[in-house]
Amino acid sequence: MNTKRLKLFVLLALGATFLSACSGQPLANNWPGLATDSEHAYLAAGSFVYAVDLESGEEVWRYPAEANGKLLFYANPVLTSDGQLLIGSTGKEHPFISLDPATGKEKWTKHFTENKGGWVGSPLVLNDTIYAPNADGFIYVINLNGKEDADPIELGGALWSAPSTDGSLLYVTSLDHYFHVIDPATGVMNESIDLGGAAPSSPVVGSDGVYVGSFASTIEYIKTNGGHKVIAKTDSWIWGSPLLDGQTLYYADLSGKVYSLDLASGNQNWDIVQPDGPVVASLLIVGDQIYVATEAGTLVALDREGKTVWEKTVGGKIYTTPVISGDLILVAPYQADFVLADYDAAGKQAWTFVPEK
Amino acid sequence: MWETIIIQPMTNLLLWIYDFLGHGPHMFGLAIILFTILIKLITLPLNASQVKGAQAMQALQNDKEWQDIQKKYAKDKEKLAQEQMRIYKERGINPFASCLPTLVQFPIIIGLYQSITRALSVTPYDMLKLARTIYPFQNVEGIIPLNSKFLWMDLGRPESIQILGFALPTLAIIVALTTYIQSKLTMPASTNPNDQSAQMTKMMSIYMPLMLGWFALNFASGIAVYFIISNVLGVVQYAATGRANWSNLLPGGSKKISSAKKK
Repeated sequence: MNTKRLKLFVLLALGATFLSACSGQPLANNWPGLATDSEHAYLAAGSFVYAVDLESGEEVWRYPAEANGKLLFYANPVLTSDGQLLIGSTGKEHPFISLDPATGKEKWTKHFTENKGGWVGSPLVLNDTIYAPNADGFIYVINLNGKEDADPIELGGALWSAPSTDGSLLYVTSLDHYFHVIDPATGVMNESIDLGGAAPSSPVVGSDGVYVGSFASTIEYIKTNGGHKVIAKTDSWIWGSPLLDGQTLYYADLSGKVYSLDLASGNQNWDIVQPDGPVVASLLIVGDQIYVATEAGTLVALDREGKTVWEKTVGGKIYTTPVISGDLILVAPYQADFVLADYDAAGKQAWTFVPEK
Repeated sequence: MWETIIIQPMTNLLLWIYDFLGHGPHMFGLAIILFTILIKLITLPLNASQVKGAQAMQALQNDKEWQDIQKKYAKDKEKLAQEQMRIYKERGINPFASCLPTLVQFPIIIGLYQSITRALSVTPYDMLKLARTIYPFQNVEGIIPLNSKFLWMDLGRPESIQILGFALPTLAIIVALTTYIQSKLTMPASTNPNDQSAQMTKMMSIYMPLMLGWFALNFASGIAVYFIISNVLGVVQYAATGRANWSNLLPGGSKKISSAKKK
């Protein structure tokens, strides 16, 4: 190869590299999933699932032990009553994995073929059956030993959130704008309602109906005994699940506004409460405090009147819904110096977790 | 800045076309095709100047005065450059005219790839970025998420067809093939054995199909659709001028022409 050819080849190779770098790797690009029990926090971030000791903030185990290019985690892990930690991967082969929460050892793995989508939403376990929503628009029905118990339930649009249940029916939101009611005993879809926009988060089940937020910038109320209506409108898309506390429904939108709706009167309880950034994560309520995590990387504690009790700069961007374990609030920021931090009810940070390379 | 001047307008335009087409199945593929035609129309003057520039440079390689100064100042690069500049100036030739349109295409390809992946939003984070990209006057709640199906493809993923247990990357092959055809057709015949420009074009006609084929193999198939349509339109556009060198597609075609001209 003469010099000119070599130069041209190098130039084109550089062009290819430049284009590859600019385009990025979309699949590796998402915020972490988080779950907890009384001892550990379980963080699904990138190529690993980490178990972190809640007292010390130290890593207990990681799965897999070595980085594996085929595995990529963003869904919230789910703990089952029989001692399993369930997590699906959005990596190349989309395995659905059961881990031992104490050791991180694999209990079983169910492989899904290449043409099936990844696992963005978490599974729901109901009556010893796992209902796992997949981005390919199916809910896969798996038993606790990792075998498919029934045919998958086809819903159509990509499923990015965990199904909810009232103990007998499944309530599922889909990115194709639909809310579905499914009878798990038969796998039959009882009802489908067009929400007018994509619904990336789980519905919230109340005593006589279900509440769903969507990109239509509305909260839809679906009555258990039939019928549905829009009960509230917001300034921007609603990403996180609404939070039901008695007769009050809390929710937030991408404009960063936090709302408190009195379900009895249909009126808002406060005028404008707007922390420092868009809110993607669902809200969390503990005692008398409502916790709001913003894209600006701030954790805000509000009282029930919407007044700020305290706010802490966590860092990075917070999209993952914080979780509570005992008195601790666990926050998993994205693109921050650490991947997990914990705060007490007064907003004091106890530790941060940075995985060892 | 890149986001504001490239990604945002491109993504919004793609979404607007998709919405205009009725946002059903296969419509995002059609939106990419219409987008490509639009880009081709916008860059038509640039492409015309590229062709003109390339031909002028080609003609120069066969010019006696040009060849004479190459020989005369072969050992004095500085003088040679001065003489070349003089000839460029005298004949009104811009030596970079043929490169500029290629350079303009590059950010379009990168931007289009980023716009396609963003519009299709494979991950929640992509979806969030898409929400930020949309212009306030666009009412897209009803069309998001986009339907990524086009013919047998998922436009957000690399394409392949399973044949006898093998994943055959048909689009990557078509991209490489159409790029090769386009570069061969637009390659002018040269009578000068020392024609550096012709040598460069010949090398480009080998490397470019490989590079674009590699992109099509590894990235979202939506970008492969852009490459194919762009190549086909390029061939049609060139053929319409009557300058397409069809004999170059045959093995040894360019050599035959060269030797025929020498006789």
